[in-house]
Amino acid sequence: MVRAVPGWLRIAAVVFVMLAAIFMLAPLVVVMGVSVSESQFVAFPPQGFTFRWYGNALGSPAYLGAFWLSLTLAVLVTVSATLIGGAAAIGLSRGRRPGGPAETFFLSPLVLPSIIFAIGLLMLWSAVFGATSFYALWLAHTVVAIPYVIRTTLAVLAERDPFLEEAARTMGATRLKRLWFVTLPQCRPGLLAGAFFAFNISFDEAVLSLFLRNPNLTTLPVQIYGQLEFSPDPTVAAVSTLMILITVALMLILERMLGLTRFASG
Amino acid sequence: MSDLTLTNITKSFGKVEVLRGIDLTIRSGEFVSLLGASGCGKTTLLRIVAGLEGVSSGRVEIAGTDVTGLPPEKRDIAMMFQSYALLPHMSVAENVRFPLRMRRVGTRDEQDAKVRAALETVQLTHLADRAPRQLSGGQQQRVALARAIVSNPKVLLLDEPLSNLDARLREEMQVELIEIHRRIGLTTLFVTHDQDEALSLSDRVVLMNAGAIEQQAPPREIYDAPATAYASSFLGAANLVPARIADGKAQLADGQELAVAPGSPDGNVTLALRQENVDFLDGGGLAAKVITRVYMGSRHRYILDLAGQTISVLAPASVMLEPGSLARIGIAPDRIRILPG
Repeated sequence: MVRAVPGWLRIAAVVFVMLAAIFMLAPLVVVMGVSVSESQFVAFPPQGFTFRWYGNALGSPAYLGAFWLSLTLAVLVTVSATLIGGAAAIGLSRGRRPGGPAETFFLSPLVLPSIIFAIGLLMLWSAVFGATSFYALWLAHTVVAIPYVIRTTLAVLAERDPFLEEAARTMGATRLKRLWFVTLPQCRPGLLAGAFFAFNISFDEAVLSLFLRNPNLTTLPVQIYGQLEFSPDPTVAAVSTLMILITVALMLILERMLGLTRFASG
Repeated sequence: MSDLTLTNITKSFGKVEVLRGIDLTIRSGEFVSLLGASGCGKTTLLRIVAGLEGVSSGRVEIAGTDVTGLPPEKRDIAMMFQSYALLPHMSVAENVRFPLRMRRVGTRDEQDAKVRAALETVQLTHLADRAPRQLSGGQQQRVALARAIVSNPKVLLLDEPLSNLDARLREEMQVELIEIHRRIGLTTLFVTHDQDEALSLSDRVVLMNAGAIEQQAPPREIYDAPATAYASSFLGAANLVPARIADGKAQLADGQELAVAPGSPDGNVTLALRQENVDFLDGGGLAAKVITRVYMGSRHRYILDLAGQTISVLAPASVMLEPGSLARIGIAPDRIRILPG
């Protein structure tokens, strides 16, 4: 028999969960509130109501440029990280030992502090190619996004029927056909979820982008950071709110398509 | 002709010798069962025929062609897996079509017709558009069967396909397999550890033991006339009792005697007694001590001590003997199988 959970413990659990949710959501509420405030400064609680700052943001060449750079970068990173991470996951899932050295290597960007990677890449890039460029950012973001694709793809591959591929062989499927008709369809939910993570990682990444920036290479998070440092008006909050909305929209689309929650719950 | 010939197949995994010199020929259209305990090498042999496993030495021929070095996709075979191995992202019809698509058999319309015919054979036409996960275990199994027969392979390989079904469904599928095989007559190799399945389905039973063929014969013959002690104990749980034969009589370890068929060679032998062939008598015969009685509904199973050997005997439910008492038992001389040693 499972013993019943005492009432006070249930209440405590509910309170704890609510506190955690408030703790996570409060900053978003603050940002959204500030973005419609009439005050000239980033201040909470908001005073009055206006969409002025949104107009400001959408009319600012600096923000728009940064947005397009971030979007282009995120899309390209999504493609490259999904291709490389997906291929790595398929290869790793065939290994004799799950969690072997190869897997650890591919997942290492998760544990390596990104500031160290940023410094190292900046020095290496400068020594070899000179000034940083779009390609440096693409490479940097791809490296940190790959582990997410690998994790989500390995997760779906772990649940597959190991005999499917053998069965396909007995039905006359050659190596390429097995990849196309058997392995890739099985990976699909993992690859899509991984692609979603990769997009978000890149779109939201600040540390690497900060180290690798140059006057012509400012991503949206770096632009926000710079604005906040030098002229903090609620435009920053408006831009942040737009970023939140884009992310939420993406998440809803993906949840509709394949149920993202199963990756969140490991 | 699509007969299958295995010549002197051996297979080792590292230092472990799994198959030691298997010679086996299956005639076109024959249904052969590989029967044996787990670890006897029967599944490895099946996988070698499929091409999923290589041989250490020996030769595999399908329809007169040496296919030993060919990968599975180049062999004209079909295999049904224990887990059914249906492709989860494809519908039932797409699953059944898969081998035709991979082997580029005919036009799209011809493929459609074949898929329909295969689904009709397993009575699943109405579920053609479902996804595999929407089907019950028994239905998934029929899809797997349809997929295996749709391409009319030279050899059909079945790897314990019934073991995941419950008892009633399994019996139904056995009957269906027999009927389908009679209708389309594919050369079939069936792996099982279940003797009832092997006996009821096959034209020939190949009993394997420790990587070698122990005996191969038609079901009735292998059951009634097992050639070795292993065969007689594996099939039908025979009781093995050592004895010494002289003058048409077998003397047991405790001195009791019973008549054996005339012409039995003198010397030390093992008597194989089927549990259903032992009769309970009111008097005379052999004395055996009752150890345990097990009620089985339609009958009783008795565990007896006969001359120091524990034997299992089936009796009508009306035979009531208490543990500890003495039973009188008899066996007709022509029901006693005499094995050397």
